[in-house]
Amino acid sequence: MKLLLIEDEKELAIGIQKYLTDKDFVCEWANNTKAALDKIAIYDYDCILLDLMLPDGNGFEILKEVKFQDKADGIIIISAKETLEIRIEGFNLGADDYLTKPFHLSELLARIQALIRRKNFKGSNIVGFNEIQIDILSKTVKVGDKIIDTTKKEIDLLLYLIGNKNRVLSKGAIAEHLSGDMADMLDNHDFVYAHIKNLKKKLMDAGSSDYIKSVYGLGYKWKHE
Amino acid sequence: MNKKLLHKTLRPYLIYSVLILMISAPVFYFATEELYIEDVDDTLLLHKKEFLKHAAPTLKFTDIPAWNRFNRDVKLESGKQLITDTIYFTTYFDTLDAEIEPYRELNFPVTIQGKPFIHSERISLVETEDLIKNIVFLFVAIISILLTGLFFISKKLSQNLWKPFYKTLQQIESFEIDKINQPEFANTDIEEFNRLNASIVKLIEKNTAIYKSQKEFIENAAHELQTPLAVFQAKIDTLIQRADVTQEQSEILESLNENVSRLNRLNKNLLLLSKMEHESYSGRQSILLSNYIQKNLEFFTEQAKAKHLIIQMDLQNDLEIKSNPVLAEILISNLFLNAIKHNIEDGQILIVIKGNQLIFSNSGRNVPLNTNRLFNRFSKANPSEKGTGLGLSIVKKIADINNWIVLYQFENNRHSFVISF
Repeated sequence: MKLLLIEDEKELAIGIQKYLTDKDFVCEWANNTKAALDKIAIYDYDCILLDLMLPDGNGFEILKEVKFQDKADGIIIISAKETLEIRIEGFNLGADDYLTKPFHLSELLARIQALIRRKNFKGSNIVGFNEIQIDILSKTVKVGDKIIDTTKKEIDLLLYLIGNKNRVLSKGAIAEHLSGDMADMLDNHDFVYAHIKNLKKKLMDAGSSDYIKSVYGLGYKWKHE
Repeated sequence: MNKKLLHKTLRPYLIYSVLILMISAPVFYFATEELYIEDVDDTLLLHKKEFLKHAAPTLKFTDIPAWNRFNRDVKLESGKQLITDTIYFTTYFDTLDAEIEPYRELNFPVTIQGKPFIHSERISLVETEDLIKNIVFLFVAIISILLTGLFFISKKLSQNLWKPFYKTLQQIESFEIDKINQPEFANTDIEEFNRLNASIVKLIEKNTAIYKSQKEFIENAAHELQTPLAVFQAKIDTLIQRADVTQEQSEILESLNENVSRLNRLNKNLLLLSKMEHESYSGRQSILLSNYIQKNLEFFTEQAKAKHLIIQMDLQNDLEIKSNPVLAEILISNLFLNAIKHNIEDGQILIVIKGNQLIFSNSGRNVPLNTNRLFNRFSKANPSEKGTGLGLSIVKKIADINNWIVLYQFENNRHSFVISF
């Protein structure tokens, strides 16, 4: 998977690059419009992460150019500027998702994975991890051949954990992921514990290994040796 | 009690007028009477002169009985001595009317054919009294008409005079600094009012400018904070991935994490507040309130679980409101979370839709909240709690934008927020 990160804030770009780079992802970085357009002209990308406020222009110009050249599968806008109008304009110009700064890196990764899953959708849409299989369309989870009874939230949580495997996810990041738009109003993240506990129990009762580890003081981790 | 400006000016006028009327009526009465008596006295003296000049020299003793008989009001009497003229009030009994009537009488000595006589003449004052009474009555009537006229004219005049003032007052009363429409003052032909209007316009312009720059400041500040916050967040996210984090470090990281996310929420809510003031949430739709509550109920039930709260609903009727859907959802979520956050263990939340009202009431601390500061930004019942202190001011703002009314009540140890649509 090849990603292009267009972001002028160096520190943030390094953080994102570092988090996204593993065997699945190659993340390139452009810090202005010109550099971004040069890269887009030469390469094809699976996903472009686009900041709207750039030193030499507006991110929307890049968005138009990408759509015109048909150079990427998916575009996620990452911007500090969030008004309904800008969001709508972004979607109208062909963006697939919109993430407002600041965000958790794990959230960004989950969004990219979801976007790529949607784009690569061929008849079925299944995310698998060893003995666990998640069918995103029918919202079912199988451990081996056994279908387990899960809620929508639990599937969401499972996808998020597996998507960020081997990474520590803070309670806050999980809470924000699960509560969506409501996250800004929520100042108690204790409900995460109950979800984690339930999911862990359901998976293990169905015979799966214990993948969900709690990391002292920090949060949880989907651990795969 | 506050008096109206008009009454303030009219009252002294009225008191003055009544006072003058009350004093002037008797004064006028006595003055007229005095003048009339003077007039009667002059007539009597004139008659005396005429008598002495024309009648006295030719009058004989033998004429006197006839004189006395045919003159009703003039008599000649003998036998008594009088040195000087005397003029006085007296009364006679009128046999025809059977009334005692007032008279003015003049006695003076006169010599007829060498013998002294007293000439006495009287003039009835009965008609005079009536006349004076009539005059006084007329006078009072005229003055009264004059005063009532003056009263109404000055009232009308004052009303007209103060009209621009009242218009200005009305404009200022309907002025709200966060709304776009500025008051417009019509030109008056009175210098003072023009000055007043000009100063108010200046004051409003200045305040609006300050308010606007403050608003912009909050919005810009919140925007500018987004990027450093994003970097901060990203760095922590990266740092917690390290395998060699010690327990002590992880505690610090946890605390950092919590606080950056709190900062984040604060910032986003501040942005929301200032964005609402920009009216960028104008698209209104019809929304069925109960649908919105049902839709988010699962999420809130989950949130309420930690405190073992019981959520009860009493939706008596369908309530359809007109609002921007995003704002309506934020309003309900904030009220819901507020009811959860400030609740006690094993407490209750009751959601009622009744008529055009939505009521969220919850158990909590058994003291009413301070209603003065309740909806202010960053006002918290407990300063050390983790909330942003913006939830209720967002609720208030959303209600204000849509012209809804939010009320807080504390009854039977229940805190209730009532929204009237």
